[in-house]
Amino acid sequence: MVRQKSRYLLCELNVSDRSRLLLLDDRAVREAVRATVARIHGDYGAALCSLRFSVKYLNAHTGIVFLRCPKNCYRLIWSALPFITSVENQGQKVPCFLNCLHVGGTIRTCQKFLIRYNTQQLHRMLPQCKSEEEKLQVRKAILNCSLIKRNEGGFEDEAESGEDDEE
Amino acid sequence: MSVFMDLNLRPTAERSTLQSLLDTAAHLGYSAVAINYVFEPTSKKKQEIPKPTPTSELFDKLPTVQGRSRPIRVLNRLTIVASDASHFRPSAPEFRSFDLLAIHPTSEKLFHAACMTFDVDIICVTVTEKLPFFFKRAPVSGAVERGLVFELCYVPAIRDSTTRRYTIANAVCLLESCKGRNVILSSGAEKPLELRGPYDIANLGLLFGLSEGDAKEAVSSTCRSAVLHGVHTLQVSADTRAPASCCQKPGRPPAAPSTPRDCAQAPPTRPAQTPPTSRKSPIPGQRLQTNLQPREPDPPPQ
Repeated sequence: MVRQKSRYLLCELNVSDRSRLLLLDDRAVREAVRATVARIHGDYGAALCSLRFSVKYLNAHTGIVFLRCPKNCYRLIWSALPFITSVENQGQKVPCFLNCLHVGGTIRTCQKFLIRYNTQQLHRMLPQCKSEEEKLQVRKAILNCSLIKRNEGGFEDEAESGEDDEE
Repeated sequence: MSVFMDLNLRPTAERSTLQSLLDTAAHLGYSAVAINYVFEPTSKKKQEIPKPTPTSELFDKLPTVQGRSRPIRVLNRLTIVASDASHFRPSAPEFRSFDLLAIHPTSEKLFHAACMTFDVDIICVTVTEKLPFFFKRAPVSGAVERGLVFELCYVPAIRDSTTRRYTIANAVCLLESCKGRNVILSSGAEKPLELRGPYDIANLGLLFGLSEGDAKEAVSSTCRSAVLHGVHTLQVSADTRAPASCCQKPGRPPAAPSTPRDCAQAPPTRPAQTPPTSRKSPIPGQRLQTNLQPREPDPPPQ
């Protein structure tokens, strides 16, 4: 028994208007998930959430969240995610829902999936581009999406900047 | 890659909500949705069955499904909430214009009749209140043999805590009698924020007591078999009604003149998809073949 294994849930926060997404931070999301798991699964769920559960990464522009859970109870925490109806931050409630895209054993596999997913999103946005220069920007962002060793932190920014241009 | 469907979207009066609902469903990965018109006949006054607005009128442009290149497919569905068998006329001509027929029985007698004899595709299970009757093995297995599916909605569970308890209790009760087969999970959503992704719903199925393979099937291949069942019933009844002179091309079903089907949609006989992941169940098309029952004769044409 060498190391404690975890599962990383890659989720997407969907809101009705994107401007309110910028208000959220990882602490708000963590509190929301913790409260929902306690509501659905009671004290047992609340206890499980206190173990190794954390929000590893949150991107307010695209709404991507990485949640880390212990391997033996990730299904329980995952089953409570559909019941989240809003996330509260500093007194402001943002109605939203979490959509789980991928479950991975490491952050790296989730990142690989995220690149493929973002590339798909950009491909979806390409037909909706209004002007030529937007099209060029989107195409450049698609070509730039790759997992290079030195640029691991940077690839997500490139993918996001491509999506931000579409807003 | 399996095809996910959500067969219960409630339309409101506003068209923009429906459009955003459809956009969200396409973004989440649903390849087909069904717009559900609910009809509740009361014995006091005669009510008209709502006519479905053809899809070409409702939406200008159907959004593309996430991860695929096709636009989302929109079907029409009618749900009849009834407690008495006399409210349901099996071969009413208004039913022809819907792709799927569902019935929501509120009494044991109607549930038994619906499972064994009625010409429907989906049987809805109450989730908002205590079950008025218990599920017996005989009608449930009869329905499974005929190819009907049982539907569970999850949106009431998200809204309120008491309905959550009823949903889980009723779902567990249903699954005890039907062993996890022929169950679909659908939303019943009216607003786009009430929809959930297909993998999340499959996980909810685990809460209700389905096994992992059954839960994933409940969102994908069982839905598809329900749609094929509905389309097949429409074809068969159209065959018996329309005379042979209407049918020009061999191998293509004759369209009855009263069905306003959108020609831009995918044809009913879809190309063979990858078989479902569970070992137990056969390919949905095969299940359909064994369920061909002689339909009740339609009234003679005028």
